[in-house]
Amino acid sequence: MPEVFTYRNDSPSRITPEGTLAGLRVAVQPNLAVRGWPCDAGSRALSGYTALQDATVIARLVRAGAVLSGSSRMAELGFGLTGDTSARTVVDGHADVALITDTMGEVRLAAAGAGLFGLKPTYGLVSRHGLAGLVPSMESIGLAGADPGRIAETLAVMAGADPDDPSMPDDCTAGFSAVPPSGTGSLTAGVIEENLTRLDPEERLVFDVGVARLEAAGVAIQTVNLADYGLFQDVHHLIAAVEASSSAGKFDGVRYGHRSAVGKNWNDMYLNTRAESFGSLIKPFLFQGAYFQFERYAAFENACRLRGRLVRAVDDLLGQVDLIVLPTRRPASDPKRAATIQATYAAFALTLPASVTGHPALQVPNPGLAAAQDTGLQLIGRRLDDGRLLAIGQHLSFAAREGR
Amino acid sequence: MKYEAVIGLEIHVQLNAATKLFCDCPNRPGDAPNRNVCPVCLWLPGALPRLSQEALEKAVLGCLALNCTIQNESAFDQKVYYYPDLPKGYQLSQHHKPLARNGWVDIVGPDGGLKRLCIHHIHMEEDVAKLVHETEGRTPISLVDFNRAGTPLIEIVSEPDMHTPHDAMEYVKALRAQLRYTGSAECSLEQGTLRVDANISLRPVGTEVLNTKVEVKNMNSIHNVGDAIAYEIIRQTECLEKGEPIVLHTRLWDPERRVTAPMRAKFEGPCVPDPSVAPIVVTDVWLDAVRGRLPEMPARKSARFMETYGLEPDEAAAMSAERDLSEFFESVVERDLPPRKTAGWIASQLVPLLRERNRSVGQTHLTAERFAALLGALKKEIVNTQSAREILGQLLDSPDALEEIIQKGGHRQLSDTGDLETLVDRVLAAHPADVADYRSGNPKVLGFLMGQAMKASQGKANPKVLKALLAQRLG
Repeated sequence: MPEVFTYRNDSPSRITPEGTLAGLRVAVQPNLAVRGWPCDAGSRALSGYTALQDATVIARLVRAGAVLSGSSRMAELGFGLTGDTSARTVVDGHADVALITDTMGEVRLAAAGAGLFGLKPTYGLVSRHGLAGLVPSMESIGLAGADPGRIAETLAVMAGADPDDPSMPDDCTAGFSAVPPSGTGSLTAGVIEENLTRLDPEERLVFDVGVARLEAAGVAIQTVNLADYGLFQDVHHLIAAVEASSSAGKFDGVRYGHRSAVGKNWNDMYLNTRAESFGSLIKPFLFQGAYFQFERYAAFENACRLRGRLVRAVDDLLGQVDLIVLPTRRPASDPKRAATIQATYAAFALTLPASVTGHPALQVPNPGLAAAQDTGLQLIGRRLDDGRLLAIGQHLSFAAREGR
Repeated sequence: MKYEAVIGLEIHVQLNAATKLFCDCPNRPGDAPNRNVCPVCLWLPGALPRLSQEALEKAVLGCLALNCTIQNESAFDQKVYYYPDLPKGYQLSQHHKPLARNGWVDIVGPDGGLKRLCIHHIHMEEDVAKLVHETEGRTPISLVDFNRAGTPLIEIVSEPDMHTPHDAMEYVKALRAQLRYTGSAECSLEQGTLRVDANISLRPVGTEVLNTKVEVKNMNSIHNVGDAIAYEIIRQTECLEKGEPIVLHTRLWDPERRVTAPMRAKFEGPCVPDPSVAPIVVTDVWLDAVRGRLPEMPARKSARFMETYGLEPDEAAAMSAERDLSEFFESVVERDLPPRKTAGWIASQLVPLLRERNRSVGQTHLTAERFAALLGALKKEIVNTQSAREILGQLLDSPDALEEIIQKGGHRQLSDTGDLETLVDRVLAAHPADVADYRSGNPKVLGFLMGQAMKASQGKANPKVLKALLAQRLG
């Protein structure tokens, strides 16, 4: 098994840190800037690149007393989870919380595969400054860990307005309060019928176990309809590919990263550099994005319109119920082994909705099941309801420990 | 067949904001290479753009000066192309939702009448880096200077309303005058802070079709804009007459050879909305505040000059064309000097001297106070017109006081009748034949003798007194 870390912090401060997160060990992925650490986002396109300054979230965590344990392995440019070791940093005891960028469900699936909690925060709640990202309109720095309470404390430090990221919506700039609302009683959760019909019997069985736990905790379950449920995948795929194609345009070998040694002129240098820089999974994704950008722009515009419709539909549902419940993963497709775009999207089918709409989503493990069997329980909340989701997770976690 | 040209201009104007468009780096492209750079304008991984409020305000001022409607919401797009002068593989530009639409400027047409030329829209965008190709030596190399990368521009896209090189040149002049008035931009074609791209097509006179256009770039003066368009109209006319089709492409004006020549095919990339720059939402309150910072513009000022100071239309237009000169004019007039005479002196004496020096009045030692004092000395006949012209040049170039310049240069006018009598007698004695000629009935000789006498006084004689003396002596 490969080493968990690509970079290990051998010189953490010896002074006992102070602050709300004193001593909390945090692992990062190498797409998040920590000054002086390699920051290659798992890609040859950034090989040898060292971060010049701390990402905003890193600066805030360190100021609050957190200790950075190291940088894990990650899929190239954070697309999927192929080769990712970030959840293992927690499972193997190297870290209390792992920061995992979530673009299509990475933090939720990484956590689900490791029996952990994994939160994708509300889009815009956490600054992206210092994140070498790929899909700016969807990516969110997520948190995985065994204890939802610690995740909540960590998020409270990370969240809130940042002058270096003016894209954060105004309603997010007030920040996040970790204080959970009292209890889970009087809450209602919606189960999407159009999702249920897509689950095979075994997945359905495991999902029902999870829903029963929610019910036991006092949450009223309701079946709801989302007629456009089938659109999430295409909308995500098209928009993410187009944005990725633009974002990856900066990897030209001029200022940093790998530069091809062959080429008659700059044009050749570009072509060879980019051909050599990207791996076999990301390259076709960038091609697809370029295709829609250059040749099928109207389809991209349609996808953007549909995205708006999906956001409104989910907002409407969250007007009827307090949260939406989905399984997190499909055991038949392992995101870590996905070698094609198709296989990647198949593995992430259940986590795409919240990435498309920007709502917060929490993966909750089912401690009663073997990891291989557990499909996880995914709670999707209203914008900025991150604290409530974590409080429910905490409640379920206590209940499980007490054997209820 | 007779053809008519259809001309549209795309004009890039560099805003003179203190910083770049999306970061705090100084907006000084001319500094030592790669001095003014940061993670944002180098587009290092993890950097995010932060829109400059100052650049936005200056852009809005420019749009208002060009009579555009500011859009309630505008947004940035990523204009994709790959070239080493563009650090992120796309240029942030407002393609789908520009800052402003539907503007106009008025020009004086060839018939002397006013002609309104329309602006389709104005958008903001960032400039790209500068490439320096070193082809000397064994291995040619290309260097990239990122000082200019990310500096703020507005692009002004006209309607295809123009039909002659005259229209285009006047449009650029009118637009430049309006923009300079706002103080948002320097607008120098020579220095590249205003860059004109012309789209030119031809159509049979009397039709309304828009045919395939050719884009012409690289004109670094107003005259070059006119010449390049004139050349291109002739070139395209010859093509059509020979039966050659016009192909969409870009040509460069060669100011040495005075021709346009085709350049590399330009790659037009797609434009997708940028998710990281928040949309620009303009509120009425904010817009009113910016509008309040707009100075009185030339057309209105010209009307006021006619009304308040009794200037003729052409005098008022000349006095209001440039903001600094118009303020200089008013400041002089406020010192109790006759407005029309002041305007005349500014237009006929000061402006040519400034043009010779290639400076604006603010860049010289001349102040309204010094200029008013000079006109005062002229009025009081301390100096004559000829000396005053000479003195004006010195007031521009040296900080010396007017009194000192008059003293040192011996410019004080000779009005003393006794002194001038001696001088006149000397001149008449030296030209007996001409005196005789005059006395035998040729009045034209008086002008010659007057000139000789003025010369003898080294240009300092009071002409009125001199003339009277001459007439009297020749009697």
